[in-house]
Amino acid sequence: MVYHPQDRTGRPLTAAGPGDDGDTIAAQATPPGRGGVGIIRVSGPRAGAIARAVTGKELSPRQAEYLPFFDSGGEVLDQGIALFFAGPHSFTGEDVLELQGHGGPVIMDMLLRRVQELGARMARPGEFSLRAFLNDKLDLAQAEAIADLIDSSTEAAARSALKSLRGEFSRRIEALLEQLIELRVFVESAIDFPEEEIDFLADPQLRQRLDRLANSLQDVLAAAGQGCLLREGMNLVILGRPNAGKSSLLNRLAGRDSAIVTAVPGTTRDVLREQIQLDGMPVNVIDTAGLRDSGDEVEREGMRRAWEEVGRADRVLLVFDDSTGFGTQEKAILRRLPAGLEVTLVRNKIDLSGGDSRWRQTDHGPSIGISAREGLGLDVLKAHLKQVMGYQGSGDNVFMARRRHVEALERARAAVERGRRQLVEHGAGELLAEELRQAQQALNEITGEFDNEALLGRIFASFCIGK
Amino acid sequence: MFYQQRFDVIVVGGGHAGTEAALAAARMGRRTLLLTHNIETLGQMSCNPAIGGIGKGHLVKEVDALDGIMARAADRAGIQFRILNARKGPAVRATRAQCDRVLYKAAVRAALENQPNLSLFQQAVDDLLVENGRVSGVITQMGLKFAAPTVVLTVGTFLGGKIHIGLENYAGGRAGDPPANALARRLRELPFTVERLKTGTPPRIDGRSINYSRLQVQPGDEPTPVFSYLGRREEHPRQVNCYITATNARTHDIIREGLSRSPMYTGVIEGVGPRYCPSVEDKVMRFADKDSHQIFVEPEGLETHEVYPNGISTSLPFDVQYRLVRSIAGFEQAHIIRPGYAIEYDFFDPRDLKPSLETKHIGGLYFAGQINGTTGYEEAAAQGLIAGLNAALQVKDEEPWSPGREQAYMGVLIDDLITRGTQEPYRMFTSRAEYRLLLREDNADERLTEIGYRLGLVSESRWQAWQQKREAIEREEQRLRATWLHPQTPAAQRLETLLGQPLTREASLMDLLRRPEMSYSKLMALEQAGPAVDQAQVAEQVEIRAKYAGYIERQKNEIERNRRQADTPIPQHLDYDQVAGLSAEVRQKLQRVRPATIEQAGRIPGVTPAAISLLLVHLKRLRAAGS
Ligand SMILES: Nc1nc2c(ncn2[C@@H]2O[C@H](COP(=O)(O)OP(=O)(O)O)[C@@H](O)[C@H]2O)c(=O)[nH]1
Ligand SMILES: [Mg+2]
Repeated sequence: MVYHPQDRTGRPLTAAGPGDDGDTIAAQATPPGRGGVGIIRVSGPRAGAIARAVTGKELSPRQAEYLPFFDSGGEVLDQGIALFFAGPHSFTGEDVLELQGHGGPVIMDMLLRRVQELGARMARPGEFSLRAFLNDKLDLAQAEAIADLIDSSTEAAARSALKSLRGEFSRRIEALLEQLIELRVFVESAIDFPEEEIDFLADPQLRQRLDRLANSLQDVLAAAGQGCLLREGMNLVILGRPNAGKSSLLNRLAGRDSAIVTAVPGTTRDVLREQIQLDGMPVNVIDTAGLRDSGDEVEREGMRRAWEEVGRADRVLLVFDDSTGFGTQEKAILRRLPAGLEVTLVRNKIDLSGGDSRWRQTDHGPSIGISAREGLGLDVLKAHLKQVMGYQGSGDNVFMARRRHVEALERARAAVERGRRQLVEHGAGELLAEELRQAQQALNEITGEFDNEALLGRIFASFCIGK
Repeated sequence: MFYQQRFDVIVVGGGHAGTEAALAAARMGRRTLLLTHNIETLGQMSCNPAIGGIGKGHLVKEVDALDGIMARAADRAGIQFRILNARKGPAVRATRAQCDRVLYKAAVRAALENQPNLSLFQQAVDDLLVENGRVSGVITQMGLKFAAPTVVLTVGTFLGGKIHIGLENYAGGRAGDPPANALARRLRELPFTVERLKTGTPPRIDGRSINYSRLQVQPGDEPTPVFSYLGRREEHPRQVNCYITATNARTHDIIREGLSRSPMYTGVIEGVGPRYCPSVEDKVMRFADKDSHQIFVEPEGLETHEVYPNGISTSLPFDVQYRLVRSIAGFEQAHIIRPGYAIEYDFFDPRDLKPSLETKHIGGLYFAGQINGTTGYEEAAAQGLIAGLNAALQVKDEEPWSPGREQAYMGVLIDDLITRGTQEPYRMFTSRAEYRLLLREDNADERLTEIGYRLGLVSESRWQAWQQKREAIEREEQRLRATWLHPQTPAAQRLETLLGQPLTREASLMDLLRRPEMSYSKLMALEQAGPAVDQAQVAEQVEIRAKYAGYIERQKNEIERNRRQADTPIPQHLDYDQVAGLSAEVRQKLQRVRPATIEQAGRIPGVTPAAISLLLVHLKRLRAAGS
């Protein structure tokens, strides 16, 4: 009988996976107007210990210090300012640590992982504000604003995070989930229905499945670990009627002529993709076929693909000719966009219309004037994009959501690995089951709820159970 | 007329929920009345006479830890005892007892009759007395009124029952009992949500007509397990075998031919049956690739020839039943004593209940057992106990108590029911429990007996027994932690043969016990490690706690993290329309369940962490506005 989770040397395994604490949260934040600097904010009981581990020294509260940030091997990750606030005299009312580095997103991501390794978990949208509010750090009048923040940023982040993990990645996660559920169906039915004819725990297939799941998790994580999640970038899709200047805008943003620009409407018939950097943050700019009623079969296919891109978009640039103005066709396009997808209106050809490039808020979203041909207003557009797509102050963004996903995958992997050893080394089926439950909880954070009841449903659908 | 004596608690129904409820309230010193339509059926096992099994055995041990009757009756009536999952870990092991129906009933009846503060009365109840949204008593069939501030209704078998055999159907209750129709009609007028479920039974067979030589024998365990912590092996009656046979291709042909006259397959039955205990016609249709299904052949008692063929529940017409039974190995000459049937019945959506099992709509009225959509004696007993003890608490104006999901399977059961409701007859499985490694049969006493004692549910003798056990466990653990073995001693050398590797540094006996390849008895075989404790249950606890230690700690941490949410109550009449930011769907779900705490709210399917945050913000605002 062997039930203790320890390795061969008798050393107990850490009871919880990284970030399993649930009490200390971390997120990436950059105050508006300070682009180029990244901030990691940590709040909770472990903030002090994390500060010591990352900076290698004891910080005095409220004293900014410029120093190196270390990784677990003692290598310098980045150089920057660390600030520690002891609770309750902090923004959230808990111990708070702020690390300001100059690294781009990749370094920031490494720093975030470091903090996570030290026991923080990724904050959910609005969680810092929520804690501040619950700890009496925000006044009552702000409650409404917090509610809005939690609400809207959750929806937007949840929507974009999974979707922007482009087709392939989310397919792999779905496949992982399916593998895990199948395994649990075997393991749980072996426990709850031992009088059924087959003992799944003794079945060599079980080990094979377990190995396969562990490998798949490893693969997905390896891919994510190489930063491909970050490198994939966010998707910015350019939409508009033919000849609005979409391809010209793509060329401008990319800084080279990758799309053919002509005065003939319907020139772009397929999807064109260019990766650009905004403050080191990768963004995929996607040019599409102009949207209009056309009898041309090829063009129709192009439009179908354009809408497909919209399904994966983090943001849309809706380009129109400023000299003819925003009209019914643009409105029709807006109506077809999925709810919650953010749009920026681009008033192109201001060289012809004589309009200005100023940022304006309209009923349909923010609007900016440019001339793609003359290169006017592009700096305004880029600044705007940095602000809306980059690391935002208190809200959530796609990077944070993705980091949460990676963290969840790591927890799932660790649990599956522990479970595999419980089965293989000790034959402890109920402990394998417990570890798989933990893995499921972790994956649920990415893919949504799959609870005990759903699992039972799968068991009864798979096996004829019961007397 | 009003019966002159007033009671504190009235329990309606004398099944497994009713008897536990009545006994619990009486143990707590309340004047309790148990009303049943027929005293002869008290403690009746109206379906298969078996107690326990995986998940269910856990419930029985918990009822026992609170001094309920079920395990003790099973010890007096069990004619075959087994530990299921014996080769798997302790958390998922479970006791099961095949019982003699007559002996079981007698044991329950004796307990009821000897229980101080408890009166029995034979009369069907037709109506409830309700004043200003509170129950104040009941009215029986002959118009007699009984007054009490609390009433526990356990009349689930079977409200508005309708029995189907083939395309014939008629009104009926369990096993030949009349259905509780007058009360069912009355309850339908109250503001509860009524739904319909379906379940079935197999035809019963005369054991003398079975050819046992063609069946596989399934003996009980040796040594015979004991159910109750206070039970003794000597209480057990004579032990017998169970048997196993199976359906075959011909059985399946007969079933398929009969489907055109099946009430299920022709749409006559509307109620929803369970997914896990399908009728044999369901098994054959849904799992067409399987050419055989097991049948467990279980005796119903020592003094009867009636046998329960577990696995061929059916509502096919009798002529089909007859042929399908006789197609089975060993049943070639079988005589059917009672035909199988399906029964449809009413239940009340348990989301209308509080954790105490008091109804939200009518104060002082509690529901327990099948009326809440559950199936099984054990599930019924657990609810009866909780409802009875809470009725008793309410009479004295005391705070309600019911266990949490981390405390007991009873807690899982109640929380699942009141939070999610049920779409099928609900039965317990261990996979429903998040904290499965903590909720073991072997530690039900550790989890519940002290609480029960404080509530006044647990007798002095059980309390003493548990205290002794607890002290013995602590002493032994202390000793194991404090006793060290050093490398290069004779003990270490003997240990090396046990561990398969040398002891490199000094280790406490507890360290050694935690090693995967070590067990308590192996360790105690070392002279230097003794003396071993002599009570087997103490040794078992010490060993299990050592082996599971890492997981126990992890699960306890998880519980601790949820504590703050569990301790944040939500007002019962909260206006969810006022909570900013909730989606319409989430709002609706919260309105339906009206969770008691933030933690319960989080477990409602579809209620997201964001929604919980929004609720927290709202509650905080309310509190601030109120103060
Ligand atoms: N005057 C002016 N012409 C533009 C501007 N942007 C694009 N054009 C012209 O409009 C025509 C269509 O441009 P193109 O980028 O192919 O549009 P698309 O069909 O939306 O991709 C070309 O002749 C461009 O030179 C602009 O800002 N000002
Ligand atoms: Mg183009």
